[in-house]
Amino acid sequence: MEPITRGNTPAQRTTRRRLLAAALTVPLLLGAAACGGDDKSGGASDKVELSVFWWGAEKRAELTEQALALYTQKNPNVTFKKTWQGNQGYFDKLATLTAGGNAPDIFQIDDNYISEYAGRGVTLDLTPYTESGKLDVSKFPESLRKYGEVDGKLAGVAMGENTQGLVYNKTLLAKHNLPEPKTGMSWDEFITWAAGVSKTAKLPGTQDASAVYQALWVFLRQNGKDLYAGKELGFDEADMTKWFTLWKDARAKGATPTPDVIHEGNASDVSKQLIVTGKAGTSWVWTNQMPELKKNTEAELGLMAYPGDPSVQWARASLYFSAFRGSKHKDTAVDVINFLANDPEAAKILGTDRGLPPNLDIRKQVASTVTDPNMKQTIAVQDELGAKFGPNPPTVPPKGHSKVRSELVRVAEEVVYGRQTPAQAAAAYVAAAKAAIGAS
Amino acid sequence: MTASTVFAEPVAPAAPRPGRRVRRRRENLAGYVFLSPWLLGLLGITAVPMLISLYLSFTDYSPLISLGDAEWVGLDNYRRMFTADQSYWHSVTVTITFALVAVPLKLAAALGVAMLLNRTMRGISVFRGLFYLPSLLGGSVALAIVWVSMFNRDGAFNSFLALFGIEGLPWVSDPDWALYTLILLAIWQFGAPMVIFLAGLKQVPVELYEAASVDGASAWRKFVHITLPMLSPVIFFNLVLETINGFQGFTSAFVLSNGTGGPVDSTLMYTLNLYIKGFSELEMGYASAMAWVFLIVIGAITVVLFTTGRFWVHYSDNEER
Repeated sequence: MEPITRGNTPAQRTTRRRLLAAALTVPLLLGAAACGGDDKSGGASDKVELSVFWWGAEKRAELTEQALALYTQKNPNVTFKKTWQGNQGYFDKLATLTAGGNAPDIFQIDDNYISEYAGRGVTLDLTPYTESGKLDVSKFPESLRKYGEVDGKLAGVAMGENTQGLVYNKTLLAKHNLPEPKTGMSWDEFITWAAGVSKTAKLPGTQDASAVYQALWVFLRQNGKDLYAGKELGFDEADMTKWFTLWKDARAKGATPTPDVIHEGNASDVSKQLIVTGKAGTSWVWTNQMPELKKNTEAELGLMAYPGDPSVQWARASLYFSAFRGSKHKDTAVDVINFLANDPEAAKILGTDRGLPPNLDIRKQVASTVTDPNMKQTIAVQDELGAKFGPNPPTVPPKGHSKVRSELVRVAEEVVYGRQTPAQAAAAYVAAAKAAIGAS
Repeated sequence: MTASTVFAEPVAPAAPRPGRRVRRRRENLAGYVFLSPWLLGLLGITAVPMLISLYLSFTDYSPLISLGDAEWVGLDNYRRMFTADQSYWHSVTVTITFALVAVPLKLAAALGVAMLLNRTMRGISVFRGLFYLPSLLGGSVALAIVWVSMFNRDGAFNSFLALFGIEGLPWVSDPDWALYTLILLAIWQFGAPMVIFLAGLKQVPVELYEAASVDGASAWRKFVHITLPMLSPVIFFNLVLETINGFQGFTSAFVLSNGTGGPVDSTLMYTLNLYIKGFSELEMGYASAMAWVFLIVIGAITVVLFTTGRFWVHYSDNEER
């Protein structure tokens, strides 16, 4: 091809003009593309595509996709744009999507952030739908329904019920002829037991729970306190000193791993729990995490309540589905959530991956048909514990809960690494937690 | 102004062409048209968001609400940052430690390797490529993950130490050491400044070394009295760039700590703290204020570097042209 010179023959002029035109068009097109992203409402009005966003592992994705496909099968005009990812970074992404006005029509959320999202008016108030019967939560246990209410409005539909579960390595205990821990043993008994495991099995008996907020929560409730009292903290420095001292003594007795291993186990990923990485004999988890834990280890696992009086544990909404208030298809979104929570076939597909099914009728049915042995174990333990749950379950945590959790990890590790005394850490934690929830 | 002569060197100035004013104007227009993708990007992706973040820094703003609902709080964010927020000052300390240790060592490593590679021998370009490779992987997440597993308690590094009978530490999980594993990672990625040093070394006239050899100067004296002064503009350029880079370290700290800045905040770099404030704690107003202070401080540091540069940077333009 001939080079473009600065001649002025007509042909050359055209070439130059074309180039100019091309250069002008490219940015225009880019601009148009940038603006055109959200314009899918056109066309046949009965075709609806809903975006659904959740966190979880592959198994959950598989089950959720099947359940959504079932909805499409029954309602062929509704299709789904499904996005899922691991737990880490999920809420960063959700916040970014929301900031851009592109929150998914349906999204998974948990008690870390539901108060924040409801308080900021991101979630659709579902109360009118329950009143009109389009959303049925009448078969839910009351505690689960209540756990989705923020400031009197239903902000999310609980998609599963779980409770605190202490998971232990049965294979290891059997190999060394060690006794299994039992629901109802006191904290001291438990720590003595763990120290015994460390000594005999040459593997730390238990993960240090000082940074595990749900363990602290149980401990506080057993002492007549709570993590929150409404929008204030439900505990004081003395409680925290007791908690940090309990674990400091446990470390001194050799019941727990070295600080760096404790730190590794404090990561929230299921796959990093010390029970599955083989670095401790027990881990502090939620009952519905059993199948996921089992997937990551060869060992046989046992499941029990946290130490101390198990009646202070409660049926917790492990997570919710919420609808976006700015969604173009609110009614359809609510209908899908209703379907996932109450449809027998959908529930059968979903199993106990997100926790026990929230609808009690369906829970019975799933319990009798479920085949996955780990899900069976979850159901058995949760049922056994459920019979013991006392009154006054906690309500949904206030805004700032996720920071209350991350601060606990930081402060507890200060003690674990020996940089602060339990009393110093207790003072630091109370101050940090107060600031996090904006309490005085 | 003096520095721009260094930076501009590779671009040959276009020879002015005779032409009428009309043609020149049309050429200018064409120039802007061709620039327009970049200009639009600058405005849309950089300038406008920057102005919005400046505004947000004076507000209480959560990304969950619309921009219009941001509540004006005046200087509150800045006041809180300077007087009340301990984590803020902690992250400042971490970042300064990181930059002060990593930048000089990285430059020293880059210069050292550049001098080793500044020779003619068979396969030298392969070596240059190999040494440059780590910085191509740059801020990659994969690399940070590999690094973490290398410096774990049972990682490759400790296996290596075990060969000599040394029992290693859990480097990445130890609050006293975690930051230094990140520093080591930063130093290891010395490829970019190395290539620039290499180019600089090639510019040093061989006659100077020959003259010095005739006078019986040792290798060290040649380095101090010829290489360093002749290279000072390049050192200066690398110093400025790497300092700015050093302060902005994010990816490796994010990966090592699962986005928390742990263990016990030992890797809480400024940018990571900013990210946590903005995206996890949803305090975008406060995070914006942090970003602006950061921008101003980095700007100030760059100005200081340029000011001191006058006293030690030696430009040889006059002799060459």
